[in-house]
Amino acid sequence: MEDIEDTDLVALEHDRLISAVSKLDKTQHITEPTRNEPTNLNSEFNLIKRTNKLNIDNVAKVLEDTAHHVQISKKLKKTQSGAKVLSKPLEKPQAERIKRATGYEETKKKVGRWDPVVARSRTVDYVTFPIKHVTAKLEPTSDFLTKFQLKSELEKELEEVDPQPMVEDEEEDEPIYPKSYEEMVEYRQHLAKMRAQQSYKAAKAKRQSKIKSKKFHRVLKKEKLKQELKEFEELQKKDPEEALKKLEAIEKARALERHTLRHKSTGKWAKNKLIRAKYDKEVRQQLADQLAVGRSLTKKLQDNQSSDDEADDEPTPTFTLSQDPFNPWMVQRSDKSNVNAEFDFGYKKFVQNKMNKQKESDDSDSDDNDVSEKDVLNEKLFKKEKSPSPEPMEEKITIPKANKEKLAGPKSKKGKKAAAKTKAKKPLATSNWDVEIVDDTDNNKPKDNLEYLKLKNQKTRAVIDEELMETSSKTAEGMANKEKDETISELVKAAQTPVQEPAADSNIDPNRFIEVKPKYLNTALSQVENEYDQLDDDQVVPRVNIEEVFEEDDVVASFRQEKEDEINKDKPEDINLTLPGWGAWGGKGVKPQKRKKNRFILKAPPKMPRRDENKGDIIIKEFKDPKLAVHKVKDVPFPFESVKDYEASIRAPLGNTFIPEKAHKKLIRPSVITKAGKIIEPMDEEELLVPKNRNFKNESVIKLLGRKK
Amino acid sequence: MKNPKKNAPKRYFDVEEKSSEQKEQDVEVYNIKNNKRTDNKRIQKRKPHKNFKGKAPIDPEKLEAHSRGEGVGKGVKHPLHAAKLRKKERKYTYAQEQAARAEILLTEDHGGLEVDEDVKTTAISQKIIAENVDISAATKIFELNLDFGPYRAKYSRNGRHLLLGSKKGHLAAFDWVTKKLHFEINVMESIHDISWMHTETMVAAAQKEWLYMYDNTGTELHCVKKMDKILRMEFLPYHFLLAAVNEFGFMTWLDISIGEVVGHYNNHLGRTSVIAQNPYNATICLGNSKGVVSLWSPTIKEPLAKILCHKTPLTAIAVDNRGMYMATSGVDRSMKIWDIRNLDGPVQHYRLRSAPVDLEFSQKDMLAVGLDEVVEIYNNCCSQTTDRPYLRHRMAKTITNFKYCPYEDVLGIGTRSGFTSIIVPGSGEPNFDALESNPFQNKKQRKEAEVKALLDKIPAELITLNPFDITEVDVPSLQEQMEAKKKLLYLKPKKMDFTPRHKKKGKTQIARKKIIKQVARKEFIEQAKEAQKALDLPQPESAKKPSFGVLDRFVPTVKTKK
Repeated sequence: MEDIEDTDLVALEHDRLISAVSKLDKTQHITEPTRNEPTNLNSEFNLIKRTNKLNIDNVAKVLEDTAHHVQISKKLKKTQSGAKVLSKPLEKPQAERIKRATGYEETKKKVGRWDPVVARSRTVDYVTFPIKHVTAKLEPTSDFLTKFQLKSELEKELEEVDPQPMVEDEEEDEPIYPKSYEEMVEYRQHLAKMRAQQSYKAAKAKRQSKIKSKKFHRVLKKEKLKQELKEFEELQKKDPEEALKKLEAIEKARALERHTLRHKSTGKWAKNKLIRAKYDKEVRQQLADQLAVGRSLTKKLQDNQSSDDEADDEPTPTFTLSQDPFNPWMVQRSDKSNVNAEFDFGYKKFVQNKMNKQKESDDSDSDDNDVSEKDVLNEKLFKKEKSPSPEPMEEKITIPKANKEKLAGPKSKKGKKAAAKTKAKKPLATSNWDVEIVDDTDNNKPKDNLEYLKLKNQKTRAVIDEELMETSSKTAEGMANKEKDETISELVKAAQTPVQEPAADSNIDPNRFIEVKPKYLNTALSQVENEYDQLDDDQVVPRVNIEEVFEEDDVVASFRQEKEDEINKDKPEDINLTLPGWGAWGGKGVKPQKRKKNRFILKAPPKMPRRDENKGDIIIKEFKDPKLAVHKVKDVPFPFESVKDYEASIRAPLGNTFIPEKAHKKLIRPSVITKAGKIIEPMDEEELLVPKNRNFKNESVIKLLGRKK
Repeated sequence: MKNPKKNAPKRYFDVEEKSSEQKEQDVEVYNIKNNKRTDNKRIQKRKPHKNFKGKAPIDPEKLEAHSRGEGVGKGVKHPLHAAKLRKKERKYTYAQEQAARAEILLTEDHGGLEVDEDVKTTAISQKIIAENVDISAATKIFELNLDFGPYRAKYSRNGRHLLLGSKKGHLAAFDWVTKKLHFEINVMESIHDISWMHTETMVAAAQKEWLYMYDNTGTELHCVKKMDKILRMEFLPYHFLLAAVNEFGFMTWLDISIGEVVGHYNNHLGRTSVIAQNPYNATICLGNSKGVVSLWSPTIKEPLAKILCHKTPLTAIAVDNRGMYMATSGVDRSMKIWDIRNLDGPVQHYRLRSAPVDLEFSQKDMLAVGLDEVVEIYNNCCSQTTDRPYLRHRMAKTITNFKYCPYEDVLGIGTRSGFTSIIVPGSGEPNFDALESNPFQNKKQRKEAEVKALLDKIPAELITLNPFDITEVDVPSLQEQMEAKKKLLYLKPKKMDFTPRHKKKGKTQIARKKIIKQVARKEFIEQAKEAQKALDLPQPESAKKPSFGVLDRFVPTVKTKK
C-alpha cells in the first residue's frame, strides 16, 4: 500500500518536475486566443482618413501643470502659429511637365547660341577645315639638339642590366580640376535659379487654374490678342514675308474652323440658349454674337486683287435686313464683341483695317491725273445711293486701288480670269450683312429701296459670276426710280468694260511697207562679159535682161502656197462630234439645230502666233525636236518657283575658255575644303566668339536653320 | 529684401545682393578664353592708300558687251537658297567685270586703208600695198600658176595651212606662210570639193565617186563609200561633223570622231552646189535653183526654215562669223543681205552689173564678191548701204572660189589656173585666242587642243536655229508633268511660273511699221499745224460775255458739243 502511495507521490513529484522543466522553455504551446481585425490602414473597403499629424495642443496640455512648463508650451504654440504649412506639391505629371518646360527653355537658349555659327557656315561660299590653323611653332635649336645626346658607356651597361620598362606614351588627358569655390557657387546659383523658375511657374499654373472669374479670362484673352497683334505688327515691319506666312496660318485656322464647325448653333450651349432665346433678348444677342464670330471665321479673307476687281465691277452697297431684327442669324456682332472674339478673328479685323488705312493713304497720294473716268463714275454711284454708310469702308476704299491697277496697264487675260474665278468662289453673303440695332429701321428703308432696284438691274445684266444677294422688301417706289437706276447700270457697265486696246491695223501689208530699195552698185565688169557684149553688138542680137530669162513668176506664188500649207498643217482643227439624227429627227431635208450642232463641236485651242507670221517670204518650221528634248531640262528644281529664274541661274558659263581664269576658279571652288592629313576637330565654344560668326546678321537664315522641325 | 532688418541674423538661404542683381540682368556667363581668332581687332579694314584710288572704272559699254543677261530675280523665297543665289550672282558680275578688264590685253587693232579725200580706196592695187608694207607682209601677196584646171582653196581653222584641190585631181596642202609643202598628189580623179578636218593633219577630198580622207603626208586614210558623188562639203569644228551634199540632193552628216553617219536624208532640192555653214548655230544653208535658201540640221529631215531670197537660181551664199547676216546672190545680178539670226529681211538689196560667182565674209565682216575675174571687197555693207567697194582686184583668170585667211588680212582665191593670195587690210581678227585656235601652234599644243576639242564636242542633236535652246526649260513637257501631278491625289501641286526668260517678242516688221506710220502721222500733223500758222488764219474770237456780277449765275449756259 505504502508502495502505491509512494508511487503516487513520486508521480506527483514527477509531474511537477516536468512542468517546471517545461516552464523553463517559456514557450506557450497553447496560444492564447487573440482577435485579428483588419486595420483601417490598408483596408480596401473602408477608407478612413487618419491623420498622423501630431496635435501639439494635446502635447502642450500635458505641460500646463507646472509653471516652468508653461513657458515651454507657450513657445511651442508660438512656433506653431508662425509656421506655414508647405503647400501640397503639384501632381507628378504636371510637375514633370513644368520641369521639362523650364529645362527646354534653358537648353534652347544654350543650343541657340550656335545658330549664327551654323547659319554662317551654311551660307558661306566655302568652309575650310580644320577650323583652327595650328601655327607651326618652331622648337628652339637647343631643345631639339638635346634629344640627340649619346648615351655614355655606364648608361649603356646599366641599361643592359636593368632595362628600362617601356614607358607608354601617356595620353595626356585633360586634367580634371575640381571646381573652384567661385565656380561651385555659380553652379549652385544656377541650379537654384532653375529650381526657382520651376517653382514660380508651378505656383502660377496652380493659381491660374483655380481662377474661375470669367472676367479674368476675358481680360487674359484680350491681353493675349493684343500681344499677338503687336507682334504681328512688328513682324510686318521687320519681315513681311514671315507676316504673310502668319496670315496664311490664320487662313489655315479658318479652314480648320470650318471643319470643326464651331460657333454654330449646334453645340450644347447654343441649344440651351436657343430654348431661352425665345423669351430673353439678351440671350438672343449672345447667340447672334456667337454666330457672327463663326461667320467671320468661316469667311474667306479676301484677296486684295479679287476684292478690288469686285469693287470695280459692282459696288455692292451695305444694306440691312429690316425684316426680322431679332433673327440671330442676321444680327452681326457689334464692335464691342469684337474683343471677345477668337484671336484669329481679331487678326483678320486688324489686317483689314490696316489694308483700309493703306488704301486711304494711297488714295490721298494719287494725283489728280490719276483720277480716271471710273473713279468719277464710282463717286457718282455712291452719291446716288445716298447711303448714310455706317460701314461702307470696304467698298469705298477698295475702289481707288482698282482704278490704279487699271491705269497701270490693261491686265492680262489670264489674270482677269483668275480674278473672276476667285470672285465666283467667294461667299459674299456673309461679309456684307450689316445688321444694326432694332431701333433704326426707318433709317434703313431708303437704302433698301435702292438695293432692291439694284438687284433688278443686275438681273438684266445676267453676269454669271455675280454674287447672290437676297432682299425681300418690296416697295412701290422702285418703279419710279427705275429710270434713274438704268442710268446707274449704264454707268456701271461703262465702268466694267475694260479699256480696249487699239486693235492692230489689219490693213498693213508687210510686203508693201518697207521694201528695201535696191541699190545699184557700180561694180567692175568682167573682161569676158565685155567680150561677149562686143560680140553681141556685132551680131545684132537684141539684148535681153538676164533676170527676165531666169525669173520664174510662179516661184513666189508656189512659195507662198507652201507657207500657207505649212500654216494650215499646224493649225488645230475643231472636232465635230455631231451624229445626225441623234435625239432629233434625221433624214433628207431635215436641218439639224444649230444650237445642238454647236454643242457637239469641240473647240480647238487657240493657235499661238507663228514665228514667221508677218515676216514675208520666210517659213520657219515649228515642231518639237524630240532628240533635242532629251537634252533639255523638264523640271524646275527646288528653290526655284519660276522658269525664268531657273533659266537665269544657268545662263552664265563657268568654263575657263569662256570667262577669265580668276573668275573661273572662283566659280568652281568646292564648298568644303579640307586640308589633307589633318585631324578635323569638332568646334568648341571659342567659335561663338569669332567676329565673323558674331557679325553674321542674316536673321532669316538663322531663323530658318534654328527652327525646330 | 530691399530693406533688410539691421539686426536680422544672417540666414543660410539669404541671397547676396550681388547675385540677385545678376539674376535680374539675365546675363549668362560662359568661360571662354580670348585668343587671337576671337579678337575683334584683326578684321579692321586697311585704309585706302592716298595715291592708290582703287581699281580703274570700267567702261559701261564694255561691261554691257560681256553681260550674260538679266540675273535671278527675287523669285526664290527660301532665305538660304536666296542668299546663295545672291552670292552666285555676285560672282557672275565679278566674272563679267574681269572679262571687261581683260580687254586691255587685246592690244592689236585691225588696220585698214586710209586715203586722202579725193582718192578712192579702190584705186589702191595690190602692187601699191606690197610696196608700202613690210617685207614679211608683202610675202603674203603671191600667185601660184598651176596647170590642173580650176582650183578650190581652203584655209585651216587657225589660218596657217592651205589646201588646194583641182578639178583635174591635183591635191596639195602646205603651210602657206613658210610655203612648206606637206604633200602634193594627184588622185587621178576629179575633185569636187576639199576640206580640212579638225586638225591640219587630216584632209577630206570629195572625189568623183566617194569621199576620201588623207593625212598630211598624202596617205589615204579612209575611203568613205557611204558618201558618194559629193558636190560640196562643210566641216563643223565644234561638232566634229562633216556635212556634205551630193549630186542627187542627199545630205550626209558624218561624225568624224566616231566615224558614224549621224544624218542622211534627201533634201528634195535637187542638185545644188550652193552651200554655207552658219557659225552661230552650225546649221547648213543650202541654196537651190528656185532662189530659196533652206537651213538644215542633221537630226531633222526637213529644213528648219526657208527663205525665198531671189526669184532666180542662187549663185552663192555667205554667212558672217557672228551669224548675224547672210549674203545671197542670184542670177538676177542682185545681192541681198539678210538678218539670219532673226530670220528677217532683206536688210540690204544691191544690184550688181554681173552675177557674183562667190561670196565670203571675213572675220571683220568684209564681204568679198567674186565677179568672174574680179574680186570686190565691200566694207560695212550689212548694217548700212554702201555705194562703192572698199577694194577691187582684177585678175586674168576666172574665179572658182575664195576664202579669207583667219587671223590674217589675206584673201586666198582659187582660180582656173592656180591660186592667188591678196592682202585685204583690216579684214582679219587681229587678236587670236591661243586656246581657241592658235596660228603658232606647235605639235604638242596641237595634240592637247585635239583632246580638249574632243572632250568639248557638242552632240549633233543640239544643232537648232537657236543655239541657246539647251539652256531653256522644256516648258510644254514641264506643263504636262505638272498637269499629271495635279491629277494625283493627296499631292500638293507646286506653284510654277512658266514664263520663259526670253519671251521672243522682238520688234516684228509690223511693230516697226506701226512705229514708222505713227511717226509719219505725227510729222504730218506738225506740218499741218505749221502750215496753219503760216497762213495765219484769223481765229474765231469768242465775244466777251457781258458780266452781271453776282447775277451771273442766272445766265443760261449754252452747251457746246465737243
